[in-house]
Amino acid sequence: MLGFSKSDKARAEFEALVAPWLDALYAGALRLTRNERDAEDLVQDTVMRAYRFFDKFERGTNFRAWLFKILTNTFINGYRRQVKERSLGDESERQSVEAQFFSADTTAQTQNPEEYLLHRVMSEDVLAAIDALPIDFRLVVILADLQEFSYKEIADILDVPVGTVMSRLFRGRRQLEKVLRDRERGALQQPLVDLNAYRERKKLG
Amino acid sequence: MNCRDVEPLLMPYVDGELVDGERVQVEQHLTVCPPCARHADVARHNRTLVRTLAKQGSPAAPQALRDRVLNTVRATEQHRRQRQVLRLSAAAAGVALCAVVGHGQWRSFQRRLYAEDAVRRHARQFPLEVRIPQPEALEAWFDGKLGHRVAVPRFPNAVAEGARVLNVREKQAAYIRYDAPAGASVRPRQVGLFVFGDTGNDVDVGARGDADLRNSNGYNVVSWRDGDLVYQLVTDLDEDDIRSLLPPEPRPRRGELPSQVQPRPPLEVQPAAFRP
Repeated sequence: MLGFSKSDKARAEFEALVAPWLDALYAGALRLTRNERDAEDLVQDTVMRAYRFFDKFERGTNFRAWLFKILTNTFINGYRRQVKERSLGDESERQSVEAQFFSADTTAQTQNPEEYLLHRVMSEDVLAAIDALPIDFRLVVILADLQEFSYKEIADILDVPVGTVMSRLFRGRRQLEKVLRDRERGALQQPLVDLNAYRERKKLG
Repeated sequence: MNCRDVEPLLMPYVDGELVDGERVQVEQHLTVCPPCARHADVARHNRTLVRTLAKQGSPAAPQALRDRVLNTVRATEQHRRQRQVLRLSAAAAGVALCAVVGHGQWRSFQRRLYAEDAVRRHARQFPLEVRIPQPEALEAWFDGKLGHRVAVPRFPNAVAEGARVLNVREKQAAYIRYDAPAGASVRPRQVGLFVFGDTGNDVDVGARGDADLRNSNGYNVVSWRDGDLVYQLVTDLDEDDIRSLLPPEPRPRRGELPSQVQPRPPLEVQPAAFRP
């Protein structure tokens, strides 16, 4: 039947479009959910949602940005709530981090000039530092530095003005670098946290 | 431009986000201002390092996830076609339904929302966290993971494949997937069983001990209550095949002697639409 062959074609088109971005979606989902199980669920939910709304996708526009918009919306509307339920301290922790950050921000700019990060920093440290960011900063850092979206694309994905993207990215990176520099200093006294070993332990426990 | 003008532009400059006029002005300033030039250099260095390391440390999507995602897209397509057929019959059934709807409408609506979400979750074939067939071992695995005990029923014609924790409508549930092997009339199919802890009677599945079967998106959902536990079984088996699967054999709960178990009355499995 005519209708059937048409939707087969749409499905094939969708599969061809989405397949190259599964790694990127998974990498982003891991940083958002901070665990593999939720990350896999989030990717699967995202792809299913994208498929359901595929007829609304304007052909020829930015498919990757469209996918990540669905990813972030799915996360914000569903998973974030779940994750919060699991760790009750999340909200207060976030507020205190933010408060500390905003107050430190004005003085740090003049007193503490930025420093070069050393090449001793490991991938695990960077990922753990991203994971520790408050969600608004984390979203922007993931989109900008892990996925290399432009400010304009990020603004479209998150539905916020470009100025907001810039200030969150600025603050997010600043906080990220501070964590990494602190870790560089602390690295002399204690071994770095092995994130994967930690996750394994958590999974078993 | 002086340092004060340039400072807020350094990050967008390094990110390549400045338009030509501003970019040229910043570049001109950097050639004459070593402190600002150093700022820009640090920002560029750190940005590159963070990006490189973050990407290096990010694992690729597991092959199992890739397969599952694309398989689910295909399955959805098949299901969508089945639904189109179902929708036509549903329209006819809707006329008949209007006559009986009334009392209990709200509870029935709530019930349907749980059934539909359970179907959605089951259909997505989320990865299992543990793969063991023995109900006792699964119960031990669930121990402490949820706010309630989990009694894993044994079905005469199906073997547990594994389990995980899964949410249905904001409510955490134990999810156990069973394989129903091919029989004379039964094609090999999967059965998903959700177990909710429900001391507060929040999950409405009908009267106590009553099994309720409803059809949602081409799946059949059978719900029943056993004390403070509510079970929701999702499958694309048809009614006769579900009958061959159910009722689950009553078996002792952990810590209870077999003689203490009261056998439950046999379940009346009937499609909701066929109720008198």
